[in-house]
Amino acid sequence: MTGFFRLPHFLLVLAVILPAAAYADGSFIDKIYHPYVQAQEKEFEIRGRQQSDDLDTYRIGYGQSLNDRWFSEIYLIDNELPSDNHKFAAIELEFLWQITEQGEYAADWGMLFELDHSFNDEVDEVATTVLTERQWGKWVGTANLRLVYEWGENIRSEIDTGLALQARYRYSRAVEPAIELYAGENSTGIGPVLLGNIRLDGKKQFNWEAGVIAGLNDDTPDTTFKFLIELEFY
Amino acid sequence: MSKYTFSFVKVLLLLSGLIQISLLRAETPVIKIEIQNHLFFPSEITVPVNTKIKLMIHNLDATSEEFESYELNREKVIMGNQKVIIFIGPLPTGEYPFFGEFYPKTAQGLIIVK
Repeated sequence: MTGFFRLPHFLLVLAVILPAAAYADGSFIDKIYHPYVQAQEKEFEIRGRQQSDDLDTYRIGYGQSLNDRWFSEIYLIDNELPSDNHKFAAIELEFLWQITEQGEYAADWGMLFELDHSFNDEVDEVATTVLTERQWGKWVGTANLRLVYEWGENIRSEIDTGLALQARYRYSRAVEPAIELYAGENSTGIGPVLLGNIRLDGKKQFNWEAGVIAGLNDDTPDTTFKFLIELEFY
Repeated sequence: MSKYTFSFVKVLLLLSGLIQISLLRAETPVIKIEIQNHLFFPSEITVPVNTKIKLMIHNLDATSEEFESYELNREKVIMGNQKVIIFIGPLPTGEYPFFGEFYPKTAQGLIIVK
């Protein structure tokens, strides 16, 4: 049965998913989530996205696992780097659910649930994302399929969808090259990403990620620079 | 918008089908490993090539340990006096080191695939 999940078949499935997911609203270029949770894990995260039309987004987050299947994280989000007397533009709460054990089935599965509130324009958003990952030798493919509902006093309530894909080559722990593709109504792009992690003494590790995503249509900024630094500890 | 929502429902149904297909699996060989005094027992395991293996790891210590192996692409925390299951493979011939991230100086092991 695992033959069904060979790389060409996986790509065929994603090709079917892609057109249906290519209608999301807002910039969808961000982070690829993986469907795994570690018990007792805690993390601090700083993540940013700088776009050529000044739609920058920065966020700081703290997360910790609730058990070996659920991980929660809270983010403070803004459109400029933090400074004195600074007020954040939005707050977000995330819950990641690992559904299957890694490697048990032909693909690994998880779900991400998000709740976001924007202080500036009083817009609320809930999102559910299906996470799946599959390994082929040194290559790992990850897909995030997102369904978003947003509402508020000053906007029209709507449901959007989006798809993010990552193909990652496991070159070394410290450095792994990847290519990421994002599909949404105002954010369709593709580009290279480098990521990795460094083990530190005392049950800690440092994760990093940086990439440049090129816009594939007129609605998407020509370039989006994205970065992430994360300290994991137990 | 309803057209897009309908498309998304179709995608979810497709994913649901894929999950059900991926849940169908053959019986997987089981290998038991124990952690005691921050050491793996056995620390060297030989497994057949191109075969999925279920590692059943029992941490007999009171403290947590993390089974980690970049070569196997696996990372799993095992709390004190608890058991976890880790699936590895199917793997090509070779040697795949693993270690306990919380006590890496003592907790070392090797999986030999041949």
